[in-house]
Amino acid sequence: MRIIQNVSRMAETFGYDLDLSVFQMSIMMTIINKEDPVKLLTQIRKIKPLHLNFTIVSELSTLSWDTYDKHLPFDEVTSNYCQIINQKRMNSSLVLFLVAAANAAFCGLFRGDFIAMTFVFFATFAGFFVRQALMKKNINHLVTFTTSAFVASLLAGIGYVIHIGHTPEIALASSVLFLIPGVPMINSILDILQGHILTGIARLVNATSLIVCIAIGLFTSMLILGLEKL
Amino acid sequence: MTYEMIRLLLIDGLMAAIAAIGFAVISNPPRKAIFVSAILAALGHSLRFFLIKSGLDISLSTFVAATFIGLLSIVFARIIHCPAEVFSFPSLLPMIPGMFAYRTILSVIRFMQNSDVIKSQQFMMDFFHNGMTTLFILLALVVGVSLPILFFPKLSFSVTRKY
Repeated sequence: MRIIQNVSRMAETFGYDLDLSVFQMSIMMTIINKEDPVKLLTQIRKIKPLHLNFTIVSELSTLSWDTYDKHLPFDEVTSNYCQIINQKRMNSSLVLFLVAAANAAFCGLFRGDFIAMTFVFFATFAGFFVRQALMKKNINHLVTFTTSAFVASLLAGIGYVIHIGHTPEIALASSVLFLIPGVPMINSILDILQGHILTGIARLVNATSLIVCIAIGLFTSMLILGLEKL
Repeated sequence: MTYEMIRLLLIDGLMAAIAAIGFAVISNPPRKAIFVSAILAALGHSLRFFLIKSGLDISLSTFVAATFIGLLSIVFARIIHCPAEVFSFPSLLPMIPGMFAYRTILSVIRFMQNSDVIKSQQFMMDFFHNGMTTLFILLALVVGVSLPILFFPKLSFSVTRKY
């Protein structure tokens, strides 16, 4: 895993050996002074739940190389680190718009017609808005996913009920696809391939439970709208 | 290759690019990586579309497309100094078997609700078909995209190094 390499690289710069194991909820880390192996420190810390953020991943990786190559002093590394961590995320309304457009395009990939794509656009817009609002309030992520899948599929299902367009079933099916946890799924398989089997399985279970929640949300709105098959 | 085929390929690529941009911004990547992932997604997805149309099965063509994305992503990673995963993962997202994944769950729920034997067998079949397809596509995606990283580990882990 990249994180282990990066952290070890930074530790090495300051003359320490480092061992690290990462779990779903906590990190266990030991650092050992290279010159005096008796001096060591082990700590277990909780992991703060963070949203996926590739900018941080990319810049921390750069920071670790900079530390290694330029031998930056410790204070500077710390201040750089705080700067990277506290960066603002992208404007959330722009993200909302782009995600809605993306899911509409996704509907098009499944051969949905233009009306279906319009429905999916608005359904995703509402669903993702709900997801952002609930995430801001720090509500349990499973509840968040179920609710936003429910909202999105309810809106997309309207097209099915009033018989507009030729492919309403594709609109209904792809309206919840923006919630599918793609990156955790890829990460989990990657972890298993690289031998971090426990972490990989934990992530896989996490992703699967999110998908179950999405299915529950979809199923609830199908029950309400009285739809039998997808 | 006919004119119609080329038109379909272009539309497919464009859709995949829009989808990749949208799904990428959820995970807040650096600005320059967004465009790269759109290009990679367009190329990869239309390659997969072409392979499926020419008769390959979905997981094998996904594997080829993912390997292609993985190779290109290492090249781009050298150019813009970002870890390859930052834009290769979002460009895989349009190929994630989301539809199959929740059809699997839906068929489990239907199986549970149903008491008719013949229908239950049908749902069991659906469950296995969709579940296996999900699993194989996922494996194909991940193995495909990480093969280049596993082959050139030095290259892909030092792209953010500036010296």
